[in-house]
This record gives sequence, structure tokens and C-alpha cells, in this order.
Amino acid sequence: MINLVHNEMLKIVRRKKLVYVALIIAVLVSLFTYAQFKEIERRIERVGSIDWRTTLQQQIIDTQNRLTSSGISEEWKGQLSLRIQQQQYYLDHNVNPMEPGAPTFTRTFAENSITLFLPLMVMVIAADLVSSERSAGTIKLLLTRPVKRWKILLSKYVALILSVSIIIFMYGFLSYMISGIVFGYQGWSAPILTGFTSEAGELITSSAQMIPQWQYLFMEFSLVWFVAVIVGTITFMLSVLIRSTPVGMGVMLAALISGAILSNMVSSWETAKYFFMINLDLTAYLAGNAPPIEGMTLGFSLVVLTISGLVAILISFIVFIKQDVY
Amino acid sequence: MKNFTVKLTYVISLVTLTLFLVGFTWTLQNQFFSEKTTNVVVKEEMVKKDQNDQNKTIVALGDSLTRGTGDIEGKGYIGYLVEELEDKTNEKITLQNLGVKGYRSEQLVNQLQQTGVKEQLKNADLILITIGGNDLFQSGQTIMDLNLENIDRLREQYLKNLGKIIVDLRVLNKEATIFFVGLYNPFIDLNDAALMTKAVRHWNFETSELLDKHPQTVFVPTFDLFQLKVNDYLYTDKFHPNTKGYKLIAERVSSLITW
Repeated sequence: MINLVHNEMLKIVRRKKLVYVALIIAVLVSLFTYAQFKEIERRIERVGSIDWRTTLQQQIIDTQNRLTSSGISEEWKGQLSLRIQQQQYYLDHNVNPMEPGAPTFTRTFAENSITLFLPLMVMVIAADLVSSERSAGTIKLLLTRPVKRWKILLSKYVALILSVSIIIFMYGFLSYMISGIVFGYQGWSAPILTGFTSEAGELITSSAQMIPQWQYLFMEFSLVWFVAVIVGTITFMLSVLIRSTPVGMGVMLAALISGAILSNMVSSWETAKYFFMINLDLTAYLAGNAPPIEGMTLGFSLVVLTISGLVAILISFIVFIKQDVY
Repeated sequence: MKNFTVKLTYVISLVTLTLFLVGFTWTLQNQFFSEKTTNVVVKEEMVKKDQNDQNKTIVALGDSLTRGTGDIEGKGYIGYLVEELEDKTNEKITLQNLGVKGYRSEQLVNQLQQTGVKEQLKNADLILITIGGNDLFQSGQTIMDLNLENIDRLREQYLKNLGKIIVDLRVLNKEATIFFVGLYNPFIDLNDAALMTKAVRHWNFETSELLDKHPQTVFVPTFDLFQLKVNDYLYTDKFHPNTKGYKLIAERVSSLITW
């Protein structure tokens, strides 16, 4: 079994897939670091102060003004008013939500890429794990070995989980190292508030807790990792089901993008919350942002994702064991 | 070399995998099974006074007039005022606009209770206020059924709030000059404007009388600015000033400011 896994890892490493993923991440992080740097520069110029309290207060006022404009939907209004309450809570407790530094950058960058960018990186590894063997014809060589089919598939899956872990780690590591050049490497112990919940547009702070940023990052990245594993698993299933790698990737991409779009507009379609792609934004729960559909919680999303993952594994194995290879 | 790379990949992946598994379990434990105690403490205040006293800080409070609703450039009278002041002095002017569209006096009272707002007001050299327009006009309700008794009631309420606003401001900041921009009558060219004009004048009079009781507090009239040719200075909603109107207000306020 270990030999089989080793064999699969060799394939991934030899094809330099992880290197490509690292390069893509590095380029993107550099871009965003520069963008963020520009943004801060502009803000200082506009508000005339580097004190974060002034900036935060101004953000609250700006949001309040948006709330009063007549053209926005009720759901969006609810989310905005929740954001105001949360920002006010930060201000009242004298906690800077955006303590400058690489850890904060890493945190927000992960929050922004959990639904689309990171799943994409995982797809680079997962999409052709099985289907490429098929299109190259090497699957016959693999299956003629005196090993049970499920063992072959399992070895591929284990290799996938290992690679996913590396990707998420690289992601955190690279965004910390690169953004640190500009923002500095400090800020691990800055306080972060978590545990907000909301009910009918009201922010509930009774279970709010203040934790150092490194703990928050640890939690956040483990959630990111979980999402990556589930996305990887579903892509893996598609790779078993669909012969052509590009088509498999296309299907997965369509699912992810529809998830990103739907999250912004489904608040009135309640059953949409059972789709896995609506539930990818786990870090939003940690930060206390309003969920896309009222009533969604961290527990709910975890259950939906776990079930999707389990079903995907089940289908992959059944199909792979039963199917004729020719 | 290749072998080394593969080995390294193994080591990193296994270590990170364990790390993420531990982190994930811990997250679950933290989010679902930990004691729900509030352990948020207010951090020690460590607000420093403005870095250098060379700068002048203007804090603007109030409603849509402070926001600049109706101005094509979105600056409002505050924006033009700052531009004029920048021409007049060499000092760097910092503007903090805390105006919120649709604010009535009691909402401003509440806003002044917020910690962040208080901090900014403490550091202000100049405080500008526009409030009362929404108290009086009630987004057009008042003009629809003109009724002096009703207006009297609204005014009493407003004056009570305004008194509290000024007192609160003075507790926070004793030195800053407060400029209060008065109301104009946007309905002055309508048929039966006399009654509304009377109400607005009365409103302004009582306001300035209240402000007189406080030092360093100036009532800035705008009624006369919009008295003739009101439509030249109003935005298409016939309520908010347009760019020209805002510039008029800005000129008037700026002529009163001496540092």
C-alpha cells in the first residue's frame, strides 16, 4: 500500500504540479500585496490619519449612508447593518480588526480565496488523477498489477490528501513571507474577535471571544484545509466518472462559480443551502459575517460538506471497482 | 536530487496534514464545545493626541447636507468649505465627515454616544453641524398637511435634542468652535409658502437662541441664501441644495472661520 502511495506521489512530484501551484500562488500574493499597499496609501491620503479608529469610524459612517439609500435589497441591508454592529463592537472594545502586518494579510487573503481560488489550486492536482491514466492508457498497466482495484484508488486518494495539505501550507507560508516584505512580519499576537452570531439582523455578542491572531489563523487554515479536502474529493470523483480531464475540470469549475454567484442572490431560495458550493465559505462563520442564507451555521455547513465528501468517495470507489476498462 | 524532493514532499505533507487535523479538531472543539463565557475585555485606552498640532481637524456632524446629497461632485458644503480654507491657510486640514443621510436630531444624540465618534470629537479644532431639516420636514410629510400645532411639537422635541447635543459636545471638547448651519425653506416658491416660511424662521430663531447660551458656538443662517431664486440653488429633488447651493453655504461658513 505504501508503495502504491509512493508511486502516486512520484507522479505528482515528477510532473512538477506542486511547483506550478506554488508559482501561481506567489504571483497572486505579490499582486494583492501591491494592491493592498496602494489602498492603504490612498486611505491615509483621504482620511488624513493613520489611526485605525478614525478609519473604522469612517467606514461605519459610509456604511450607514449606504443603508439609507433606497435602491438596496432588504437582505443586503441586513448584512450591512450587521457589519456596522460588528465594527462598532470592535471600536467599543478598542480592538483593531486590521492590525497591520503579514498575519493579517494572510488571514484576509485566505478569507477571500476559500471559495474560489484555493479550490482551483486543488483542482490542478485532483482533476486528472484518474482520468489522465485513462486517456494515456496507463490505467491498464496499473490494473494488471496483482493489487485490488480499491487499493489503487485509495493510494491515489491518499496522495491527493497529502498534496492538498502541502498546497494549503504553501499558501499560508507564501502569503506570509511575501506580504511580510511590505507589511512587516509582526502581528501574531494581535487580538481578534470571534464567535459572533446573528439573529434576525441583530448581532449577538454574548459568545464573542477574543483570541490572539495566531490561534485564529490556525483555526482558519484548518477550515480552509477542510474545504480544500472536500473540493478535492468531489473533483476526484469527477475524475473517475468523466473520461476527459478538461470536461471534468469544466464541470467542477461551473459548480464553484455558480456557488459564488448563487451565494449573492439565493437568500430567498432556502433549499439552495443544501448545495455544497454554497457552504464553502467556512471562514465567514469564524469572522461572524452574515451567511448567504438565513439559518446557515458552521455546524450545518460542515455537515453538508462532510456528506458531500462521503458521497463522492462512495461513488468514486463503486464506479472504479465495477467499471469495465477497455 | 529527485529522491530528495520526493522525501521532502512527504515530510512536509505528513507534518502539515497532522497539523491541519489537530487544528480542525481544535476548531470544532472551540466553536461547538467550549464554555460560552464572554472573555472579551476592553483593551487599555492608548489613544494618542494628534501627532502634530500643525494640522487642523474638522469634524462634520449631521444629515444629508453634511453628506452632500444633491451635489454632482458629491462634496457637499463641507467639501467646498475645505477647499476654500486650504486656499486661505498653509495648514493641513483633515476632514472627518460623520454625516449620515436622513439623520434626525435624536439619531445624532445617539451617534454622540459612540466611542469612536467621541474620540474624533475630542481631537477636533472645528465642529460643523447640520441637523433639524429632517425633524421639521419629515421627508415632506409636514408640508403635505401644514399644521402649526404639529410643528410646535416637532420643534420642542428637536430643541430638547439639540440642547443635549451641544452639552455633550462641550463635555468632550471645550475649545473647538461649533458652527451650526441653519435651515432654509426649500418650499419657498410654492403657493402657500408663507406659513412654512414662518415655521422655518421660528425654528431658526429658537435654535440660535439656544446656541447663544453656549460659548464659541455660532449659528450660521442660510435662509436668505435660498430666499430668491430658490430653484437655481436646489437639486432636482427640490429639497437638497445643488452644487451652486452648497457653494453658497460653504462661502458663508468659510468667511466666519478664523483659526
